[in-house]
Amino acid sequence: MGASTLAAGTAAWILFGMFFAQLALRVPVAVALGIACLPILLIEDRLWPMILVQETFNAYNSFILLAVPFFLLTANLMNVGGITDRLVRFSRALVGHFPGGLAQINVVLSIFFAGISGSSTADAASQSKLFIDAQRKEGYDDSFSVAITAVSAVLAVIIPPSILMIVWGGVLTVSIGALFLAGLLPGIMIGLVQMGTVHIYAKMRGYPTYPRATLREIAAGFLVSIPALITPFIIIGGKIFGWFTATESACIAVLYAGFLSIIVYREMDFKGLWGAFAETGRLSAITLFCVGTASAFGWLLAYYKIPEALLAGVTAWEMGPIATGLIIAGVFLVVGCFLDAIPAIIIVGTILSPIAAAAGLHPVHFAMIGIVSLAFGLVTPPYGLCLMIACSIAGIRMIDALKDTMIMLIPMFAVLVLLILWPGMALLLPSLVEPDFLR
Amino acid sequence: MAPSGARSLLRRITGLYSRFLDALLVMTVALILLPVTLQIFSRFTALLPRYIWTEELSRFLLVWMIMIGAMVGVREGTHFTVDLFPSLKGRARAALDLVSGLFVLVFAMVFLIYGWEFTELAWYRISELAELPLPLIHIAWPICGATWLLFQGERMWDDIRVLRHGEGPV
Repeated sequence: MGASTLAAGTAAWILFGMFFAQLALRVPVAVALGIACLPILLIEDRLWPMILVQETFNAYNSFILLAVPFFLLTANLMNVGGITDRLVRFSRALVGHFPGGLAQINVVLSIFFAGISGSSTADAASQSKLFIDAQRKEGYDDSFSVAITAVSAVLAVIIPPSILMIVWGGVLTVSIGALFLAGLLPGIMIGLVQMGTVHIYAKMRGYPTYPRATLREIAAGFLVSIPALITPFIIIGGKIFGWFTATESACIAVLYAGFLSIIVYREMDFKGLWGAFAETGRLSAITLFCVGTASAFGWLLAYYKIPEALLAGVTAWEMGPIATGLIIAGVFLVVGCFLDAIPAIIIVGTILSPIAAAAGLHPVHFAMIGIVSLAFGLVTPPYGLCLMIACSIAGIRMIDALKDTMIMLIPMFAVLVLLILWPGMALLLPSLVEPDFLR
Repeated sequence: MAPSGARSLLRRITGLYSRFLDALLVMTVALILLPVTLQIFSRFTALLPRYIWTEELSRFLLVWMIMIGAMVGVREGTHFTVDLFPSLKGRARAALDLVSGLFVLVFAMVFLIYGWEFTELAWYRISELAELPLPLIHIAWPICGATWLLFQGERMWDDIRVLRHGEGPV
């Protein structure tokens, strides 16, 4: 390559400098990534701006990314079709009598939801509408309500199915079936520590609770929810047994949610259906548009071999798997503050992958460290989509919900550290169910 | 402050256009389900033929869905930004929006000019599996660029008004 007009260092300064300067000026992230590429495409002899078009086209022309609209649509269909309502009732019967009952329901519903939809933004959007106002009426602090809704929404990408796992598996060629199984244990543990956090908050601040449900009510809630609760088994089972691919499993989720809404629960009308489609198209397009320009940005980083230059020092340290795992988590956490998770996987995941391999981290373990860290990035400012969505629905500023969000993140970080120290949290289930996945 | 004639005409035009895009977006989302569903079920039953083009067609529909949704996103101002000054109002907000709007305009120009070049390059080519004409997909880029110019221009027009006359009664 020696003949490039710009030195790698100069190119890196232009790319990152332009990008962050535009972020500070409130230029949309997708545009900022694209414009940052422009000077280089104009200066460099062998490149020209059509590469921006070509690279975005290549990014969108992807069967993997179809999972994004599908999982969003699943979530939207669940909401308008009465599936969510039934899961709320069941969650209430299960945990309503714990301290901070409504907030506990918020977390448990996120866990159920995560097993059906693989999109955290969808979870944040729908549960913010569902819970924040209701919690406000019961005397919960706004910042607490926003924070718990946002942090519980991140479960959707940790508990399978998950858009991030599908993208990760596609980009870095890791078995998506293995990732689905690997996410189960960390996801449930994070859900449990969130319930613990709510418990402590509720005790300290005297948040209300509901009367304990009778066994009858629990059974009734369970019965009406059964059709919805078996969704994860269909999706994950179908993927593991090889009935369909990951993207197809997302399509199955849509069809099943549609089937439940229209035929079983019969609460869907045409207006609701239209709204679900319109909402899905909007949110998934905005999310994915960013992926296109991020791919162009990442393509240029690779063109100048900038990642190798940045990490040349790191491999020389010869760290063990634990130190490497911690560094990987740290990098993803920082990147997650500024970038959406999918572009982060495309740009940073590919950079870190050889380092993880050199340190002897299993690809599935590495993937779970990355996905959990990036999931936390969904609630860390300045660019934390779930927190942004929850704040805008609650009508408060992000800064006001920050303290409670950070407090809730502390026990979640503990789970992340445990995941790094104990690879079994990710690898145990896949090795029991389908050792072939781990090769 | 009554909007001037030209402004309200433009608003009507962009309003109609965005309603059209909205309908198109809904149809695209609904349509994507078909080829993927066909692909899954044809594997388990002999009744459905196992077409080779389902995967490609669904990808192309995804491309169009993203591009249409991105156009709508500019009109509604929903593209994600990292907001460091959340509570700005009036002239200060309008001035900052104008600055960031300039970058959006430049980006739109790139999509329009080089997207057109991209389309011309593929003028006589067809896709490998579904044998669809490729320009039909590539044309999404110049259309997106032009639409962004229109929608972003409209937003900036409003910002300039705010800058000159202050925030009017809404």
